[in-house]
Amino acid sequence: MTLVGLAAGAVLAAVAIFIPWLPDEASREAGLIDNAFWLVTIICAAVFAVVAGVSVYAVYKFRAPPGDLEDGSPIHGHTGLEIVWTVVPIALVVAIAVYSGVALGQAEEIPEDHTVIEIRAQQFAWNFTYPGIELQEGRQLSSGELVMRIDDPVEFRITAEDVIHSFWVPEFRMKQDAVPGITTRTVVTPTKLGTYPVICAELCGLGHPTMRSQARVLTAAQFDRWVEEQRRLAAEGASAGGMELFAQQCGSCHTLADAGTSAQTGPDLDSVLPGQSAEEIRESIVEPDAEVSQGFQPGVMPGNFGEELSEQQLDGLVEYLRESAGGGE
Amino acid sequence: MAVDVREHEEHVAHAPPPRRRTGIRRFTGPGWLRVLWLVPLSFGIATGFATGARAALGYEPVWNLQVLIVAWTIIVPLGFLTAIGGFDYWARYVSGRPTLPEDHSGHGAYSWKDYFRVNTDHKVIGIQYVVTTIFFFVAAGLMAMFMRAELAQPGTQFVDTNTFNGLFSVHASLMIFLFIIPAFAGLGNYVIPLMIGAPDMAFPRLNALSYWLLPIAGLMMMSSYLVPDGGAFAAGWTNYAPLSVEQPAGNLMFQMGVQWAGASSIMTALNFLVTIITMRAPGMSFWRMPLLVWANFATSTLVVVATPFIAGSQFFIMFDRVLHTGFFEPGKGGDVIAYQHIFWFYSHPAVYIMMLPGFGIASEVISVFARKPIFGYRLMALSLMAILILGFSVWAHHMFVSGMATWLRIPMMVTTLVIAVPTGIKVFSWLATLWEGRLHFKTPMLFALGFVSMFVIGGLSGIYLGSVPVDIHASDTYFVVAHIHYVLFGGSLFTVFAGIYYWFPKMTGRMYDERLGKIHFWMTFVGFNVTFFPMHWVGLQGMPRRVADYDPAFGNWNLAISLASFALGASTLVFLYNMIVSWRRGARAPANPWRALTLEWQVSSPPPVFNFDEIPQVVGSPYEYGVRGARHAVMNGKPVEAGRAPERVEAMH
Repeated sequence: MTLVGLAAGAVLAAVAIFIPWLPDEASREAGLIDNAFWLVTIICAAVFAVVAGVSVYAVYKFRAPPGDLEDGSPIHGHTGLEIVWTVVPIALVVAIAVYSGVALGQAEEIPEDHTVIEIRAQQFAWNFTYPGIELQEGRQLSSGELVMRIDDPVEFRITAEDVIHSFWVPEFRMKQDAVPGITTRTVVTPTKLGTYPVICAELCGLGHPTMRSQARVLTAAQFDRWVEEQRRLAAEGASAGGMELFAQQCGSCHTLADAGTSAQTGPDLDSVLPGQSAEEIRESIVEPDAEVSQGFQPGVMPGNFGEELSEQQLDGLVEYLRESAGGGE
Repeated sequence: MAVDVREHEEHVAHAPPPRRRTGIRRFTGPGWLRVLWLVPLSFGIATGFATGARAALGYEPVWNLQVLIVAWTIIVPLGFLTAIGGFDYWARYVSGRPTLPEDHSGHGAYSWKDYFRVNTDHKVIGIQYVVTTIFFFVAAGLMAMFMRAELAQPGTQFVDTNTFNGLFSVHASLMIFLFIIPAFAGLGNYVIPLMIGAPDMAFPRLNALSYWLLPIAGLMMMSSYLVPDGGAFAAGWTNYAPLSVEQPAGNLMFQMGVQWAGASSIMTALNFLVTIITMRAPGMSFWRMPLLVWANFATSTLVVVATPFIAGSQFFIMFDRVLHTGFFEPGKGGDVIAYQHIFWFYSHPAVYIMMLPGFGIASEVISVFARKPIFGYRLMALSLMAILILGFSVWAHHMFVSGMATWLRIPMMVTTLVIAVPTGIKVFSWLATLWEGRLHFKTPMLFALGFVSMFVIGGLSGIYLGSVPVDIHASDTYFVVAHIHYVLFGGSLFTVFAGIYYWFPKMTGRMYDERLGKIHFWMTFVGFNVTFFPMHWVGLQGMPRRVADYDPAFGNWNLAISLASFALGASTLVFLYNMIVSWRRGARAPANPWRALTLEWQVSSPPPVFNFDEIPQVVGSPYEYGVRGARHAVMNGKPVEAGRAPERVEAMH
């Protein structure tokens, strides 16, 4: 039986080690969470090896010959054994609980010196605002993609406009629901340069699968350049920034060949926009439910782009859409 | 039986027995003819009420789909239940008329038509339950097949997002509320009175009524696809506010369907509790009850205490939608997270409602087919009770990332992990029951052993999710999908299959085909693992659950999962074929084909209408296999011994 158990254990160990169970580890918190994950894995693999070993051995060893009418040994129990399999699991789960509690505390610790990023989730888009970084006079930097500095601890303050969403970057491991009416918090310290998906993990309606954005982890210098670029685009205002704005704000739901987006939550702009006037396009952005394309439901597209975007941005976007729609044909 | 009827006649004042109805009066008696006119009539009353009230109050427009759906889903089912005869006896009593004599015409089934009537025989009701739940199991399984077809490739191919969201919502709701919970209730209904030596359940009419609520709930959920402007409810079976509040009208079908299914659960649970507490045969102390009876005792307590919470949560959603109350809308002073607390205060115990009866079935089957006493009987029973109590203290582990009070996560993590201990005791005791046994690998045993191994995996992945830091990463991903399917499919469904095969001879009087049963098991076992195991990996890698479309990086794995799931779906055909053909043409079953000691096997297959001609005397434990001279019960003056159980003469029919 020991042999069977060891074999089961060996197979499990191989499965655990040779399959990359977790994605890239790109944050300080990911390291802590992964340690808890591997502790649980070691304990669970050991328990499973015992269970699998005993069952396989018993199934092989104690099978009845055909036509057998005998009964088995009348064993009713064994107090010692029962104490063992009560006490040992208690010890194991206490170990897991203590380790997890400590890891949680460390992961959620917010250092004195940290950056704050506000996340606003809405059907079906992410918006990241950087308090303290001004885009223009009296206007904070905000973006549809998440851009972070490497090794800079970020406290996220998360809210939702409409229904519950959940902010998740698998490579950071941290996940936190965005809840209408309250502000939730989580902390991430990115430790690896790169681009990672931002995923909505809580069912939020029709566009849920496409409610994605990206998290870019940059060096401090790159981050500063990105901020400058945003300021430049905001200042220019006109259609020069229209494509970037579209990709950030609209591309997660709409297809537009010119901007390279192909999402299908909302109408395909290459087919519905040609022939529309600037006023009509503007109305579709600011008041999306006024007229809804056939085959789509009202109430899906956010209705607050009128407040979200500055007048210049809106002009730029309308201008860009009028010029580029139908470009895919 | 004679004893029963006399007892009844002595203390109840009865009118003379009803004459057989003829002519137009056939339409006024309980049954489908009355359904024919009373259901349309109640539909009209509901419509008139909903529109009339709005017109009288001056609300525009008078036709409001949501208000109409609420009126229909309350009044039409009541009309149906009245028509089919669910309330006839009580109606007479309440209105002061003499009640009809209990002639026991509602007992026993003499043709297939008797299964379509209000029948008060727990054995008929048990079969009604099991067959109905299998119907919904197949329907919900087909929805899963559609989902897997859509998920075989990234992007959207067959269904749009709205339909997809409807598919997984209705799939889960049917599987939970119309299959697993009532399938266990059905098996328990059939077996429990027999196991404890009772002639029937404590409240046979309530029992009949609780059955007829089920098809109502199921059809309501399924018909949500037909609701105009948006179709089926698509906010998941969890129906989180505020998404559920802003959903199209089809969402009401979930809120109202759950009420009917929940009412059915509560009625059955009360019935089980009273039956188990008051109707055990002489000598059947609690410590001599089979573990299935213990399991249903614990489950029924959970149902009675917890189910009102989901009823409340769904009523509040309905009020938010129809009356614009704002319980869960922050803009109106509501609290979004409160919904989740109320919902999970039922729905976590519901996990045990869906698992404890399966533990009971596994204990019966493993003991009998290992030919050994169950290892550590008392600790097995006590661990059921421990799970019952702890089960109420873990609900918020579904909410570790929800934004609830952060301190609450630690105590909830501790209780969640601790609940693994009684569960572990059960698993180790089943394994120890195998030790030095003589194992017979009949189909029920295969499913019971399959259950133990799969449930261990589901339990261990539960440890991952119980640890807060790991859960922060894994919650709302396919890891959770894998976990719940290892628990509810590998756990609950395997034991439902074990139970159906195990009691099939008792319920139908026929043997099932052993070879097909084994084919069914192996197809299910392999198909299940290939389908669900890779989901652990896919989820941890970053695939969220409840998505119609996903990162193309997961395309190959999803294709493999989908192909395996189709094989898994096909295994159900083997099961259905085996059941249908064996029921019609299987070999006649002896009274006790498994040489079991529990009481249900000491009467003919199927049992006599009133179960026992003579009330059995219980004199010992139900699992004394291999113990020379030990007995569970004495019947007709003869001891019941393992392996030499008395073959009784065919009882009266």
